Amino acid sequence: MTQSSPAPLLQSDDRLGTQRGAPAAGTAAPLVQVRNLHKGYGPNIRVLKGLSIDMQPGERVVVIGPSGGGKSTLLRVLMGLEQIDEGSIRFAGKPYIEASPAGRRTTIDTVVRRQIGMVFQHYTLFPHLNILNNLILAPCKVHGENKATATARARALLARFGLEAKAEAYPNHLSGGQKQRVAIARALMLDPKLMLFDEVTSALDPELVAEVEQVILQLAQQDMPMVIVTHDMWFAKNIASRVIFCAGGVVVEDGPPEQVLGSPREERTREFIERVFHIR
Amino acid sequence: MTFDFAIVLRFKEALLLGLWTTLQLTVICVVLGSLLGFLVGMARSANSPFVRVPARAYVEVFRGTPVIVQLFWFFFCLPLVIGTEIPNIVAGIIALTLYMGAITSETFRASLKSISREQYDACTALGLPHATQVVHVVLPQALLRAAPTLLSNCVSLFKESALLSAVGMADLMFIGQNISNNTARPVEVLTVVALIYFAIAFPLTRVVTRFESRVLAKLSA
Ligand SMILES: Nc1ncnc2c1ncn2[C@@H]1O[C@H](COP(=O)(O)OP(=O)(O)O)[C@@H](O)[C@H]1O
Ligand SMILES: [Mg+2]
Repeated sequence: MTQSSPAPLLQSDDRLGTQRGAPAAGTAAPLVQVRNLHKGYGPNIRVLKGLSIDMQPGERVVVIGPSGGGKSTLLRVLMGLEQIDEGSIRFAGKPYIEASPAGRRTTIDTVVRRQIGMVFQHYTLFPHLNILNNLILAPCKVHGENKATATARARALLARFGLEAKAEAYPNHLSGGQKQRVAIARALMLDPKLMLFDEVTSALDPELVAEVEQVILQLAQQDMPMVIVTHDMWFAKNIASRVIFCAGGVVVEDGPPEQVLGSPREERTREFIERVFHIR
Repeated sequence: MTFDFAIVLRFKEALLLGLWTTLQLTVICVVLGSLLGFLVGMARSANSPFVRVPARAYVEVFRGTPVIVQLFWFFFCLPLVIGTEIPNIVAGIIALTLYMGAITSETFRASLKSISREQYDACTALGLPHATQVVHVVLPQALLRAAPTLLSNCVSLFKESALLSAVGMADLMFIGQNISNNTARPVEVLTVVALIYFAIAFPLTRVVTRFESRVLAKLSA
């Protein structure tokens, strides 16, 4: 897939690189603070085993790792879609998710959750609504935005993503790449402070991957903090300000992309990256 | 034996009147039965077993017994049980409504279940309040998906409504039977009656097929 990707939108790594590197400790509160996160499905499947991650504002974290390693689970937890077994997550300095004592439901602050947007691997547009209505449903119903202003914002966003002609179309008349771009636009309508992307191009035909990645790169240029799960090494290198290699429910390696992708310290990371590069 | 279909034309008005009664009864039972079926379909997936179990029992009983037995039960037995006369139209509407409720509840239940986890995840990720989620995302899709099957449930009910003639409702079947008895022309009269039922049911089943593929294409996105 790397071969079929077009030349990078960004000519040099430097343009995104200006954002690279976490601010010196103490200058800013972490945007996301994950502490000792444990999460399983039922009593027998342990997926996340004590994850702790700090993410600074302006960071773009790419999460890589073997399939079944818990990447989707991590993103789903961050989105507030899952119960957790142990640990806590703070967002922008505020408590967001807190595991409750055994048998009780996880506490999730839904006001904090609204500041986070997510795009999934599967298509999740509402098939019975046209594109415009997919975009304005949440702003109108959640924030009580007036329909005319929401529609104007939606049209502007669609134009920015090259989708203005599709405003009145229904999702089943869109290509996979267009659907994912609309899904990104739909999340952006709520002005999220953090975007989560879970393998958003892996269901797409290879020739449609680039158009979706370009949109995410465009967001990166506007300093949108994001957590991205991807198997596309070209994309990972171009978007990441930090790469986390996650396997077996723990963080195996965590660092700048040049290091983790280029000269990994851990044997397991090296093996994984070689395998993924060789497949490509 | 020679057949004289022209004889049926002499009873055109009576047959049309019977058809009108059949259609009216069908519409009444379709409306009441679908509302009931919708509530029962939701109750089938309720958390509380006090709601779920009776709903399931009702559906199983009405799907597992012949409609004519249900009809006779409400016509002959219910008056004995409650100690008052029940007009045949009331017994008929109760029986067919409960039958329609049972079959459509399965339709609604299946369509509610067909909404994928991803749709619910997307709602949560967008912060949609529960009511918005139900009204703007779940119900429209569930109803759209249910519509073709619901329409074929209606066609079934339309045909089953001929059973009402057995309790003396003057529907198309009842009038057809009377004319056939009085004229001793069962072949001509009952053939025409069958054709009338078919002329209404068949186009509807064609519509169901066309409609179904369109709905599925739309919802597959
Ligand atoms: N809803 C679920 N129920 C049970 N097991 C699940 C569920 N979702 C994921 N898992 C399991 O959790 C593990 C991690 O899955 P996932 O987070 O999807 O990994 P990744 O995204 O890294 O491939 C896998 O073994 C998967 O089978
Ligand atoms: Mg995954």
